[in-house]
Amino acid sequence: MKNSIINEEFLQQIEALQTLIRNNVAGLFGGTHQSKTYGSSCEFADYRDYIPGDDITKIDWNAYARFERLYQKLYLDERQMHTKIYIDASRSMEYGRADKAEQALRLAATIAYLSLNEMDKVSIYAIRDKEVIEIISGMVGKDSYIGEIGKLNSLEFNGDSHISDAIIPTNVGYGDGMSVIISDFLTDNDYENAINHLADKKRDVFCIQVLSPDELNPKIRGKVHLYDSESVEKVYRKNIKKDIMQAYRKALEYVQERINTVCASRGASYLLVSSEDQMGDVFFGKLVEKEVLK
Amino acid sequence: MSFQYPLGLLGLIGIPILVLIYIIKSKYTEQTVSATYLWTLSERFLKKKRKDNKLTGIISLILQILAIAIISLTIAHPVLTIPNGANEYCFILDSSGSMSMEMENSKSRFDIGKEKIKEIIEDSGNGSLYTLICVDNNTTTVFEKETDKDDALLLLDELQSGFGSQSISTALSKAQSYFDANKGALTYLVTDKAYSETENIELINVASAKDNYALSDVTYDYSVLGNLTVNGYVTSYESDAIINLQAIAGEESAQKEVSVKKGEATKFSFDLYIESFDSATVKILNSDALSLDNECVLYNVNKANSYKTLLISKTPFFLETVLKSVGSESITVMSPEDYLTKEENKSREIKGYGLYVFHSCNPKAVPDDGSVWLINSTASIENSGFNYQGEIKLDKAENITKTKASASTVRKLLSDVDGSEIYVSRYSKYDTYRNFDTLFTHNGNPVIFTGVNTYGNREVVFAFDLHNSDLPLLADYVFLVNNLIEFSFPSVIDEAFYECGEKAQINIVSNCESIRVESPRGKISHLSTNEIVSEFQLDEIGVYTVTATIAGQVRSFNVYSAMADDEKDPVTDNEGKISLLGEASGEGFDGIYDKLIIFFICLAVIMAADWVVYCYDKYQLR
Repeated sequence: MKNSIINEEFLQQIEALQTLIRNNVAGLFGGTHQSKTYGSSCEFADYRDYIPGDDITKIDWNAYARFERLYQKLYLDERQMHTKIYIDASRSMEYGRADKAEQALRLAATIAYLSLNEMDKVSIYAIRDKEVIEIISGMVGKDSYIGEIGKLNSLEFNGDSHISDAIIPTNVGYGDGMSVIISDFLTDNDYENAINHLADKKRDVFCIQVLSPDELNPKIRGKVHLYDSESVEKVYRKNIKKDIMQAYRKALEYVQERINTVCASRGASYLLVSSEDQMGDVFFGKLVEKEVLK
Repeated sequence: MSFQYPLGLLGLIGIPILVLIYIIKSKYTEQTVSATYLWTLSERFLKKKRKDNKLTGIISLILQILAIAIISLTIAHPVLTIPNGANEYCFILDSSGSMSMEMENSKSRFDIGKEKIKEIIEDSGNGSLYTLICVDNNTTTVFEKETDKDDALLLLDELQSGFGSQSISTALSKAQSYFDANKGALTYLVTDKAYSETENIELINVASAKDNYALSDVTYDYSVLGNLTVNGYVTSYESDAIINLQAIAGEESAQKEVSVKKGEATKFSFDLYIESFDSATVKILNSDALSLDNECVLYNVNKANSYKTLLISKTPFFLETVLKSVGSESITVMSPEDYLTKEENKSREIKGYGLYVFHSCNPKAVPDDGSVWLINSTASIENSGFNYQGEIKLDKAENITKTKASASTVRKLLSDVDGSEIYVSRYSKYDTYRNFDTLFTHNGNPVIFTGVNTYGNREVVFAFDLHNSDLPLLADYVFLVNNLIEFSFPSVIDEAFYECGEKAQINIVSNCESIRVESPRGKISHLSTNEIVSEFQLDEIGVYTVTATIAGQVRSFNVYSAMADDEKDPVTDNEGKISLLGEASGEGFDGIYDKLIIFFICLAVIMAADWVVYCYDKYQLR
């Protein structure tokens, strides 16, 4: 971690939180997420008639005493999910007054810890150009967290990012947990297909847009020649006045609206986070409010 | 158009500097941002610009340039020149007592005169010159060649009427000098006096017929028996009238009605009985246009000048008799032994007298708080100014010689004294070490001399005992003692009733430390005590209080200043002709219009505000 902002105290606090998985159809046994199928957890679900061969320990003898029929007690199944976190590692994430990259890493690390706390498996990937680079793979148990999470420190933010082109060709899994995409989404490149693809794969999709204060409320005025941090070919040359600032705000609203609409149409969640936001505010405030956590 | 402060135009240098800054600022600054995506995307949401919007880029510069230019011009104070639009005005305002006469709406003639002048000033062109001269007993130039109309009006507004008589000659000569310098100068005389003819002077007469009653020539006569008679004259200037008069003296008062014919001074008289007469007031009870001449206050001069005498003598008869005969009312007699004992004991009983007469008594030192007569001293006395050198005994009485000195003080002291028949049989020889005026000598030795002792008190020395001379038997004795009393204890005031405009006289007596005069309006002045007589001008009507500190004691006297008789008539007769010599050209000079400054200030504020609003709106400076 570039700065050890995720301290022990904070991690203890977020242990009380729990992720809400909607498309919980698959997964491995041994997790803490309740599946839509019946299983062997302690939580009672329903009765059914006893069929020979069933586990006799689950026969409800009290019901037999009353109805003189054998009923089998059914319990909810609990599954282990696989949380996959995709971090946009393009150069634009590292540029600006307050570092968006740091905020993205903090978010990824915290979500990873939260998942591990729920006995889930966690993988963290970086998206650079059209590739998905595996940084942490199949991390299970909080004991492995300390050893593995440090790998995020080595992540470099360079080049461009093509989210759809990078995610779709990879094994994203099926119905076995949450896919988190952390990016500034300030790109013409396609990301809608990635969300669609993940949703099709019955995964819970969660898009986190990280923007810096310079992007949310730029202070640039007058005659400027702006260069894009990712490409020297992308330039913007204008005398920035009130009308342009108004248009900028509309553009920003448009981008947010666009992601939000895509996410909403596919049952995905969307959250805008400023690179200056405190983790506490994000996790105990915004995410709880969005019903991503409870 | 000209500029009052051309240096202010230096501010225009700011314009090229501003343009330079603008050019430098016009260059695009390069900056790298995380992504230009949002900026590029914002183009889609940008409203289409109108063609004339291209100008908006330099509107800010234009506004700034205008603001700087107008602020610079404002500082430079632009003034428009109006050809032949101004004039030189000289106002002569009569501020004599009669100008206090009330006219319509409780306004005095003086107030009406001020309003007339104000109208002329207000109507005059900017850049005109204004001079205002006030005349009563004195001629006062209130402002001279004033260019600021507002200042002139302010000073005019603060003016107060005087009380004296109008004396216009000095003012006319001043106006003549302005007229000589500028034949286009306009001269106005604002007065209530009537003039048959004027030349080069515009007369503004503010007089009109009004009832006025006045007291004049009010005198008193007071006898030691307590009878006070107050005499005087009362006049009604506009119509026949029955005038109610009142006289007040102490707790006594009397009233009477006097029938008066228009313009005729009618005599009146009041008889009052009063044990101790300090002052008496005579009033006209009828109301009229001018109240200043309706009251007179008479003060008892003798009371003000009274003094106490301490006579130290074994045989006081000759001295006590003569002192009483010349008006000394309060005489305390003490034996020499008694005095010397009290002097030894530093008793306060031998202090506080106006005159100390030592007859054949040798005090250790002369008193420090009053005039001193030393008669037949046979020892040297401290601070007396002379030393005793022994007694000269003559075989037979010999004639003493009257001095031939012609000094005014000596002449005054020997006034009415023949001095040819004064004989002495023995006398003391004194050696003087201070300057004394010798009145009589014998064989070159001073036998009667006067002067001032070390304490500054007046001193009279007789070198012989009156019993060894025929002087007390001669008529000269009374005259000489009277003169010496006047020398030793001069009256502080000789008169207590004056006309406004006159000078009141105060005699500076021995040990006079300070004299303070307070006028009826409360104006305080201090008179010099270095001269024998000090004077002060009576410029107001009413009671002047004179406070003199004499040998540590404070004595107060009152002097009444009455209105001059020639100011009491509400409508004067023809005062003759007044003129300024020379031929008026009637030409003015270039006037100015300096109110442009207000316009420029407003413009500067609007421009600056417009620029701020423009920047706020355009660049969202919030």
